Amino acid sequence: MSSAAATGRRLDPQAGEVIDRGSPLSFRWDGKAHTGFEGDTIVSALMASGVDVFSRSFKYKRPRGVLSATFHDPGCTVQVGDEPNVRAAHRRLAAGMDVSPENVWPSLKFDVRAANQLVGRFLSAGFYYKTFMKPQRLWPAYQKILGRFAAGGVTAADAEHGYYDKRYIHVDVCVAGGGPAGMAAAVAAARSGASVLLVDEEYHLGGHLRYGGEAELAALAELRAEVAAQKSIEVMTNAAVTGRYDMNWIAVVQRQPGISVRGRSIHERLCKVRAGALVVAAGLIERPYVFEGNDLPGVMLSTAVRRLVNLHAARPGDKAVVFTANADGDACAQDLRRIGVGVTVVDARTGGNIVSAKGGKRLKSVDLADGRSVDCDLLVTAVGWTAATPLLNMAGDRPVYDPTPARFFPTDRLPATVVVAGALAGDGSTAELIAHGTAVGATAAARAGHGSEVPVPALARVAHPELYRSTTHGFVDYSEDVSSKDMFAAKKEGYDSIELVKRYTTVTMGPSQGKLESVNAVAIMAEAHGVTDLNEIGTTVWRPPYVPITLGALGGRGFENTRFSPMQSWHEQHNAKPLVAGDWIRPEHYGDAAAEVAKVRDKVGIIDVTPLGKLDLRGPDVPKLLNLLYVNKWSKLAIGAVRYGVMCAEDGVVMDDGVTGRLAEDRYIMTTTSSGAATVWEWAESWLQTEHPDWQVHVTPVTTGYASMNVAGPKSRELIGRVVEGVDLSNDAFPYMHVRTATVAGVADCFMWRIGFTGELSYEIHVPAAYGLHVWEALFDAGSDLGVGAFGVEAQRIMRLEKGHFIVGQDTDGLTLGFGADLGWCIKLDKDDFAGKPELVLQSQRENYQRLVGLQPVDPTIVPAEASQIVEGAKKIVGRVTSSRMSPTLRRSICLGFVEPHLATPGTVVTCQLPDGRRVQLKVIEGLAHFDPAGARMKV
Amino acid sequence: MIQVPCPWCGPRNSMEFRAVGESKSRPDVATTTPEQWRQYLYTKSNLADWVTETWYHRAGCRRYFAVERHTVTNDIRESRLPAAQLRQKEGSGS
Amino acid sequence: MNPSTVARTPIARSPVAPTAPVEVVEGWEVSTRRSTAALQLADLTWLAKVAVKADANGAFSTRHPTAFGSARRPSADVLEIGSDPGGWLTIGPVGGAAELVERLTVEVADAGELVSVIDLTHGRVLLRLSGENSDAVLAKICAIDLADMVTPNLSAFRSSVAKLVTDVVRDDLVDGTRSYLLHCERSSGQHLFNCVVDAGAEFGIDIAGSG
Repeated sequence: MSSAAATGRRLDPQAGEVIDRGSPLSFRWDGKAHTGFEGDTIVSALMASGVDVFSRSFKYKRPRGVLSATFHDPGCTVQVGDEPNVRAAHRRLAAGMDVSPENVWPSLKFDVRAANQLVGRFLSAGFYYKTFMKPQRLWPAYQKILGRFAAGGVTAADAEHGYYDKRYIHVDVCVAGGGPAGMAAAVAAARSGASVLLVDEEYHLGGHLRYGGEAELAALAELRAEVAAQKSIEVMTNAAVTGRYDMNWIAVVQRQPGISVRGRSIHERLCKVRAGALVVAAGLIERPYVFEGNDLPGVMLSTAVRRLVNLHAARPGDKAVVFTANADGDACAQDLRRIGVGVTVVDARTGGNIVSAKGGKRLKSVDLADGRSVDCDLLVTAVGWTAATPLLNMAGDRPVYDPTPARFFPTDRLPATVVVAGALAGDGSTAELIAHGTAVGATAAARAGHGSEVPVPALARVAHPELYRSTTHGFVDYSEDVSSKDMFAAKKEGYDSIELVKRYTTVTMGPSQGKLESVNAVAIMAEAHGVTDLNEIGTTVWRPPYVPITLGALGGRGFENTRFSPMQSWHEQHNAKPLVAGDWIRPEHYGDAAAEVAKVRDKVGIIDVTPLGKLDLRGPDVPKLLNLLYVNKWSKLAIGAVRYGVMCAEDGVVMDDGVTGRLAEDRYIMTTTSSGAATVWEWAESWLQTEHPDWQVHVTPVTTGYASMNVAGPKSRELIGRVVEGVDLSNDAFPYMHVRTATVAGVADCFMWRIGFTGELSYEIHVPAAYGLHVWEALFDAGSDLGVGAFGVEAQRIMRLEKGHFIVGQDTDGLTLGFGADLGWCIKLDKDDFAGKPELVLQSQRENYQRLVGLQPVDPTIVPAEASQIVEGAKKIVGRVTSSRMSPTLRRSICLGFVEPHLATPGTVVTCQLPDGRRVQLKVIEGLAHFDPAGARMKV
Repeated sequence: MIQVPCPWCGPRNSMEFRAVGESKSRPDVATTTPEQWRQYLYTKSNLADWVTETWYHRAGCRRYFAVERHTVTNDIRESRLPAAQLRQKEGSGS
Repeated sequence: MNPSTVARTPIARSPVAPTAPVEVVEGWEVSTRRSTAALQLADLTWLAKVAVKADANGAFSTRHPTAFGSARRPSADVLEIGSDPGGWLTIGPVGGAAELVERLTVEVADAGELVSVIDLTHGRVLLRLSGENSDAVLAKICAIDLADMVTPNLSAFRSSVAKLVTDVVRDDLVDGTRSYLLHCERSSGQHLFNCVVDAGAEFGIDIAGSG
């Protein structure tokens, strides 16, 4: 057999090795140059190079090496270039990698913080609940110190953001786990006619067969060929099923899939799978043994050794003690002998036990229970298995412990479409596991609608010693530095349930999330309680994600919808300051909002109001709908007329407002606030669909079918006249609050109405949206000699405030009922029914609600911040300011706000507290309008 | 994520919908007392049992419909048109 | 007369910025780019789009037997889509909206039910995604099962695409190439376009003109 005649710790070629000796790769580790091969993991390359310490532990800063040689190996987290927290025992080596240990101070070799081991008894579990509390003034200092101890890598602020995306997959059968049972299940399901997604966390399918002997490798080759022959199986390697949700909604994280998009590699992809059936073939995870020194570099699990030797031709040591309780431990001892490592076997099945491992930065010797002390640099344990049951938990199962095989098993609480294949269900030879997987796969396919169910052969439950802790204390959670001693102490302190102990000691709360430690934790608790049946202790609940997933993959491409009007390019060219209004981008102003106000009041301005909600209403029963939704009356709206309306919700709260115009016999256009566009549409539909399906009304949203622009100012009629055809624009022919259809700037099918949000003579034109920019530009061309200018949302807000027009959601809130917003003139309680009527009737019968009033600061230069409180006496709040601006028209500050009824009389002076604590006086004005209260300017 | 069986579109992911709430009969506005009205607005039976609810297919057919869902298991045993539409159909004899 | 009232010929524009070369064709500013790529995305917003609302089982539906969730070609240049329960969207040639509206209005004048015919040409953006992997592109941004058995040629659905409520019609090309029409409300058009291009980058998507 091959020997150790290799470079450093690199072995001669092994039968199942995955490294390509023809492709050497150079890389750096902790500042030094190293080489490995294509196919190596970072750790296997380093081990072959003679490195055995990769990190320092979380709390005690103890040197750590390989334990499990899997993704979740707690001592193998490193920094690779800009990328922190890379799982080096899983991540494949790449040329030029710059790998460094994480968070060591000052270096991996010598970390001063290891000194805190000396005060370990003061740093037992839960110490941070009892320390670093007093005195409070030292918290900044404590923070600095504790920061030094925090684990984790480094992210550079300017590191390039990786490429992440998502994908939806629909599949009949999803198989979680690509070992022999999983592969067999996938093949069987495909043969039944099902589409299959087969997912495995390793880079190649095969599970434990990959690092087995000749027979395993032969079975593996056969299975791989069978999988490849089935076109309906999609295989995803270096991927993991990380969550199972209702109805087999399954999250699969795919790592470095080897796909490039425009030259950038996808770093991680989240696949959202809806599967007819889920086969859980996740297998078994080897469990560590708890004893003194169990975290020393050189102490490894048997599967770690077999992976390193058989897959990567890396030699983990020269002189080994193998503590074995099962056939896998025995096979590991054989593998070690085969590569020339001296092996001392300690057999648990014949009463052998190990007591403690000794060494500093590397294992030096092991003390056995029989009194011997054996010099060695490698201690291998094979004390049993943890069933990878989290996906079953997520499907609603609470697995049960069986002491004979010493592990947990699924129960019959699983839904019919979640089935278990392989070692999770029991023990067997490779052929038996394959037969089990085959039957389960066919069953899964049948439950997903393909082929028929077949009887599933039972797998045996082979007896295995229950080995959790030796006679000494050791680490239970390597990531969190929680020892069995800590757990006994916690129980003594009264944390006696597994859920409490978990949270108090943080056991199982580290990056491996219980995979290596939860069963040992339960067993330790059982010991502490003096019970032998682990079922009495119970387990904590596994929740997604089963394996880590980056925030990048959860975020995906991160596109947020942004909505633009057809005139957006014009706004940008004219230096509009963009305002984010919900999903929309709107022009806030074009440089000087006050100047825009002046232009509108003196000459003419145009504002883009495209986001205004617009609903096309048709049918003979439209008036019924309007009467139901609005608080005022709509039965007699003449053709060509426009009316303002307010909507309240069923609790009487002001919900939305706008104008509705009647364009023809059975055709109306309703407008809503821009933020209410979708809500009002759904509101109208809910009434029509769930209360009045007999009403003959059709509602169609046309918000973005029209580009909307409001031309406002004394010269607006003159400007409109230059572009509008076919409409008599005189005040008699086209009065205020009326609507006309017209051709504007050569565009047919426009409609326009005279309304008065800004308080000036104005025409709101609605143009079929594709022509929006054309009409907008035509207006500016036509009005250049009139001094036309664009105005933005800010100028409009100022002008509407000058006129006392409230904005729903700004001057009203979730508790403002109709009468409180000064809408008494509008609310017609004599209507039979309308949305919110009962609450408004009740409100009309009482006085004790705040009133919306116009307010003017006594000092005209003070502009109170919106939401400033209005107070009475020292501390009583009696109202608030809802809108506040400096009015360029009146050259003074103006507000709207709420006050208690006894303060609402015009002339009352109230006190307002500003955010900086100053108190100023505001006077209640008559009505809400600060400017042109009679509204004469709009009606010319 | 559960799938909700829209009576028009078939089963779709629940994020396409808006769960409106327990189905309730709107009291007669002419005769309702304040207590009845507020019960209608604010109280729910909140059972750990089968409940009848209204759902709205926001990102699909934009229909409101009724669903019978078990609030503990999320099983849905029936989805159907709103009661008012079913009554209307019966009335028209179709 | 004020010289600034010189008439400009109206130009119609899609919310999707056209990819060069850009020309004005039939009154619309469109891209006239040609692509021979295996996977293409084209902006067809300029096509006429007319929506009809009527009883789901009434006289209009008898005359237009396009079931909800399917699409049909009553003639070569018109695609009728059963887009809603009691709602149809007809897509026709550029400039053909007025004629379609008139034809449909006259047709249902005696229907005895409320029928609304509304020109949505301006209110919706329309894109065509075609070629190999067009289903794989959509599957990155849409959770609907696009397998042939579930979403065959001439099937239609509305769902969430890149978080936008979008109508999708499977409308394979004459030569059998897999193709999808996507349409959503106008103001989100550029966003939808960007999302499809982004999802298609992995497969080498190319922009085609409005054809």
